[in-house]
Amino acid sequence: MIDALGVYVHLPFCPYICPYCDFAKFPHRASRAKRYLTALDREIERMGNVPAATIFFGGGTPNAYDAPSLSALTRRVSQAFPAIGSDEREISVEVNPELVRDGDFSAYRAAGVTRISIGVQSFVPAEITTMGRRHTPEDPSRVVHSARAAGMQNVSMDLIFAIPGQTLESWLHSVDAAIALGVDHISCYGLTVEEGTPFERWERREPAAFPDDDAQAELYGATMDRLEAAGFEHYEISNFARPGKRCAHNENYWRNGDYIGLGVGAASYRDGVRYVNTRDFDAYCAALEEDARIPVQSERLEGAKRVGEAIMLALRTEQGVETDDFQNRYGIQFEEEYGPVITRLLDNGLLQRTATQFRLTRRGRMLANSVCAEFLG
Amino acid sequence: MKSENPHALQTATHIRNFCIIAHIDHGKTTLSDRLLEFTKTIALRQMEDQMLDAMDLERERGITIKMHPVTLSYTAKDGQTYQLNLIDTPGHVDFSYEVSRSLAACEGAILIIDAAQGIEAQTLANYHLALEHNLTIIPVINKIDLPAADPERVMGDVEESLIIERSECILASAKNGIGIEEILEAIVARVPAPKGHNDHLRALVFNAQFDAYRGVVSYVRVVDGELKAGTKFMSMAHERVYECTEAGIFSPQMVPTKRLGLGQVGYVIANVKSLGDIDVGDTITGSVNAAHVPLPGYRKAIPMVYCGLYPNEGANYDDLRDALEKLKLNDAALIYEPETSIALGFGFRCGFLGLLHMEIVQERLERNYNLDLIATSPSVVFRVTKTNGEVELIDNPSKMPASNLISLMEEPYVKATIIAPPEYVGGIMELTQARRGTLDNMEYLHDGRVILTYEMPLIEVIVDFFDQLKSRTKGYASLDYEIVGYRAGDLVKLEIMLNGEVVDALSFIVARDKAAFRGRALAEKLKELIPRQMFEVPIQASIGGKIVARETVAAMRKNVLAKCYGGDISRKRKLLEKQKVGKERMKRVGRVELPQEAFMAVLQLND
Repeated sequence: MIDALGVYVHLPFCPYICPYCDFAKFPHRASRAKRYLTALDREIERMGNVPAATIFFGGGTPNAYDAPSLSALTRRVSQAFPAIGSDEREISVEVNPELVRDGDFSAYRAAGVTRISIGVQSFVPAEITTMGRRHTPEDPSRVVHSARAAGMQNVSMDLIFAIPGQTLESWLHSVDAAIALGVDHISCYGLTVEEGTPFERWERREPAAFPDDDAQAELYGATMDRLEAAGFEHYEISNFARPGKRCAHNENYWRNGDYIGLGVGAASYRDGVRYVNTRDFDAYCAALEEDARIPVQSERLEGAKRVGEAIMLALRTEQGVETDDFQNRYGIQFEEEYGPVITRLLDNGLLQRTATQFRLTRRGRMLANSVCAEFLG
Repeated sequence: MKSENPHALQTATHIRNFCIIAHIDHGKTTLSDRLLEFTKTIALRQMEDQMLDAMDLERERGITIKMHPVTLSYTAKDGQTYQLNLIDTPGHVDFSYEVSRSLAACEGAILIIDAAQGIEAQTLANYHLALEHNLTIIPVINKIDLPAADPERVMGDVEESLIIERSECILASAKNGIGIEEILEAIVARVPAPKGHNDHLRALVFNAQFDAYRGVVSYVRVVDGELKAGTKFMSMAHERVYECTEAGIFSPQMVPTKRLGLGQVGYVIANVKSLGDIDVGDTITGSVNAAHVPLPGYRKAIPMVYCGLYPNEGANYDDLRDALEKLKLNDAALIYEPETSIALGFGFRCGFLGLLHMEIVQERLERNYNLDLIATSPSVVFRVTKTNGEVELIDNPSKMPASNLISLMEEPYVKATIIAPPEYVGGIMELTQARRGTLDNMEYLHDGRVILTYEMPLIEVIVDFFDQLKSRTKGYASLDYEIVGYRAGDLVKLEIMLNGEVVDALSFIVARDKAAFRGRALAEKLKELIPRQMFEVPIQASIGGKIVARETVAAMRKNVLAKCYGGDISRKRKLLEKQKVGKERMKRVGRVELPQEAFMAVLQLND
């Protein structure tokens, strides 16, 4: 298998800001959105002329841009980063459901988009309000049908558990609603309270409002049961897909593959170096307008750090660490290198081994941080 | 001073040797500073607050550990100039032997009593100690300008409890310079001049310090004869001969002098390499014309409290050993020997004069030598007589013989003096009873406060007794204690098992009738202290194989980062690395990761 390149395009504008989000994002303003597209085009030009296996438009809220602009952008990116073979490749777009209008998806599809990822988070009105989202409980259904009608091969939904006020019952209601809509892929994220967000201040004020680790474990466990019973494969900590419907773009991250991130605050990984573009909107645009270098933070990964990251990523997935693959790619005998750690994790029932791989058990997935930390540093 | 007959008793008429003794915070350091200032021993602008407490650690704790004498030159109202030697004393019961040697170097003592607080436990203890050394006592009622001062009442107590006439008391405020001259005059008038013989040199080593460049600097009081550079002398305790390379006085820095004569206080430098070669209480005599009898009172320092010190990472063992070696140069009372713990690996069993001494050594090791240490809970030295008649001293619970091999167990006891307002007597009795104390005596002071005297096992005093006493008396109680010897006790070893395995470093020796209670309390405490692990951790306390308490640390259930995409990867790796570093500060015992505090948990149990 050759290492396939993924291209990520960051579209940072949002019509409103959600209180839990810590991505690079800005309130949508027409003039800024236009300036950004021009800057982005320059970066595409600079970085392009490389084949890419997948393209992913994320945000922010990509569909804060109107469908013609987004479709045109898709075409330009697609051209700058041509497909490797002749088969149609995966091109994903994240959308906010309430912003989707009739005909949007047909335009996307015509530009080559194959996969829609819908930011639903919850089907329960109180939880939607808590999360600062603005869609109705009916919006997701409309959007899924629209995507199907437009011919999207892969429709995915994001859900969040451990929302303040959420119960096991209300959570499973959202999971069931997503299953019932016949989506191909569901991402279920435990709510992470990020530094500097309004949620962080809330948690400091009222920690009891947030489900504790035990409650989260219960929600997560029930999620696995429910989705596996419905025929989904649990192929990464937070990701579930029907057979053949995994997200190829994301799988490349977890395989420690190379990727190019375009846009403000976007991250790239090429030839063992991680780069992150500045999160400063003006600095990003100015650099491209003035034909200057974009300010980046970079870190070269070598030795144990590189292998540690590779293990951390691989263990998130269903395949886990494939020992032959690790031998080929990193020149390490996984078992010899980490013998005592592996033994301990096997004894503790957090890791399981097959003939060719080591992967997390169900409990291991719940405690993935503790497991991965053992391989780092 | 000159006399025809060298064998006749001589008097150094212009020398006075005295110390200042006081309960903590009654103003000893401030008064010392004022005396230095008044006699212009040190210019005002050079004066740093609390001049005599030179070390940071001592300043932080407000106590003096390593003291340093100073010679004051004072022209009295009689027109004569006197050499007044102020010999400082350590202010903590752990160092009572050092205190006794300092007192032995003096003829008089200034006993400071706070005009507001009155007599406290250490006032009494110091007073009795001074009497034992036949010192002339000058009572000073200090802080008379405080709003709460009641000198009349305090003088009443001095009269009744110390049997000193109230007319002898000097009213003073060291802080505001009131009564300083009166005190100096009283020293000249009341403290007897030193007396001795001129024929054989005898000097008392009342303290010694190690200097990296000059070796051991001995602080001496010349009792008989004289000492100067070139004098060949012998340490009578160690029977070794040295040549004095420098002798001098403290003024307050070391200033060489031609000679140290009869009655004088100063320092001696010879080529002494280690504090083990000349120690506190030793007598120096001439290598020729040696005295036949050393000065009385010398004994080797006896460690009363032991604990295990282990490097938190195995690789630091050598660093710890080097650091202990260096500390030992300047602290003859510290003893250590290698030991091995199943739980903690290679470390040292260390003996200390008391709990404070232990804390100071630990802090020095951590601060000055940058060592990450694990200390096991402190123990005393138990005396075990086995059924075959053999007697063993047990300084580590893990060395305790099986109960069927023991015919008698004994433990060190102290006489504890507690002074507190009467409303707290109930609480104190409850506490001392829980600590196996028996009341010896109960007396009342003028101000209504009560003096309680107990006999108690030392182990009960070193394990968090003072803090408990303070909290039960809102901080009003004062405490002092002295070791009185061994008493039989019905004692058992309590063992802690984590995940089914005995953790030797957590076991301790305890009175049988309290063992189950303590076991439960410790198991509960450990449950609080041990973070959740990837698996369930049963905690059991057992006595002679019988489980007396059980707790469980539930397994950690969820610890996972939900999102890990392109932009998250480095950040998440760093986060996990941080978690890992946190874990490395833990000590792995079997499969269980223990925080350092767990090993001191036994100190935090409530009664």
